[in-house]
Amino acid sequence: MAAEKVVTLELVDLALAYGLILIAVGLARMERIGQEKQMLWASARMVLQLIAVGYLLHLVFAIRSPLPVLLMLLVMAGFSLQVMGARVRHRMPDFYRVVGISMFIGCGGVTFFLCSLVISYTPWYDPRYLIPLAGMIIGNSMNGASLAAERLSAEIRERREEIETALCLGATSRQASEMAVRTAFRAALIPTMNTMAATGIVSLPGMMTGQILSGTEPIVAVRYQIAIMCAITGAVAITSFLILLQGYRHYFTVAHQLKESAWKG
Amino acid sequence: MVRLEDVGMVRLNPKGEEVAILAGISFSARPGEITAIVGPSGGGKSTLVRFVNRLDEPTSGRIWLDWEDVSALDPLQLRRRVGMVLQKPFMFEGTVLANLQRPFLYRNAPPPGAGSGEVLGVLELARLSPELLERDARTLSLGQQQRVSLARALITGPQVLLLDEPTSALDRPTSDRLAATLQEICRSQRLTVILVTHDLRLAERVADYLLYLEGGQILEEGKTEDLLIRPKTAELVRFLAEPEE
Repeated sequence: MAAEKVVTLELVDLALAYGLILIAVGLARMERIGQEKQMLWASARMVLQLIAVGYLLHLVFAIRSPLPVLLMLLVMAGFSLQVMGARVRHRMPDFYRVVGISMFIGCGGVTFFLCSLVISYTPWYDPRYLIPLAGMIIGNSMNGASLAAERLSAEIRERREEIETALCLGATSRQASEMAVRTAFRAALIPTMNTMAATGIVSLPGMMTGQILSGTEPIVAVRYQIAIMCAITGAVAITSFLILLQGYRHYFTVAHQLKESAWKG
Repeated sequence: MVRLEDVGMVRLNPKGEEVAILAGISFSARPGEITAIVGPSGGGKSTLVRFVNRLDEPTSGRIWLDWEDVSALDPLQLRRRVGMVLQKPFMFEGTVLANLQRPFLYRNAPPPGAGSGEVLGVLELARLSPELLERDARTLSLGQQQRVSLARALITGPQVLLLDEPTSALDRPTSDRLAATLQEICRSQRLTVILVTHDLRLAERVADYLLYLEGGQILEEGKTEDLLIRPKTAELVRFLAEPEE
């Protein structure tokens, strides 16, 4: 079956859709929640940001060269790193380096694997594939990674007695922080597990919905969705694992001593 | 034998200025004796004892274990020779036996079984019944848990035992019984024991030698009975008159 042409939304249609936001603002005003201005501001930002990214993508698609595609991915990764830095309350020492390296290996590796071995399209930098796929992988890994980093820091603080008892009994810092690392890794994986379990029943994933809307056969869209879910799970696991593997070391000295900064403040 | 030589610790305060937490600490702790470090809370007692098994590092001075400088020893090896019992007993998940086997797992050695000489030996030293071995360690009373941590610290056959406020989480009768056990172990095993406590009664009961630490400095030291009967400094006199609970 040939893909049907997707219905184009005209400005009038968008204005009509925006009416729904005005209804939301109206309701907020009626209930006096005092968030009307923020809602309008947020919706304006949403519109502007999407238009901007739309033109940017249009440009990147038109140039058809690897450089702007890679640049765009780099900017996306940079922003996600910055968002994470702001979100994580207790940042581990050397946070940006640890998380940056882990995301580069985890997300970069999985994106490469998915694009070149699973989907195997050409050219490798085709922005139609690379940008949305890498974007989804980076976005999801960011969530997993911030959970891992946040949880590790909290676990080390809460488990000070356990860790120091283990050190006193001759444990290495790796052995002493084993439970903290394990709990943080579990916490990082839970949202992805939940999403996987709920996919298709509780919600239709955004990418699949988008593909169906643009005329792709649902069966094809589902296959893509399965592949991307697998990739996201892999990327979240690898990124979080790498963060924890490097991260725990920063709480200890080379002489297997728990640093004071790990449990104070 | 443990010997501290002019040990000090400097930290930066929030303004970035250097503040001495401990200064000029020198003393020796001998095998078969309990050396107690007493003094008010916040005086640097716990920090000091953590230098001996290198849980922390002093900023100046040297610490000797027999004739070896501890800073030159591998900390993992050192901690098998210098056991430590912390203020609050921490029990790892699992049975009492699993807790006693922990130190062996850490060095990838085969763990001793319930009927082994090592396990039965430390149970006897810590006055614990072998029937407890299969019990979930976290369901034991605090007093029993502290005895398990004592047995766990002894199972690697250390020559030194550090005790950081070991009875502060316990009620008086439990604390007294543990004190008696500590004394027996120290004598029978010829262990070098360093006890940190703000509890004068405990120090008086078990310690052979006493150091009074206040404001990061040793203000007085001597045989327990001499120090308690004839204190020389105003600080110790005040501490003896108004001990902390």
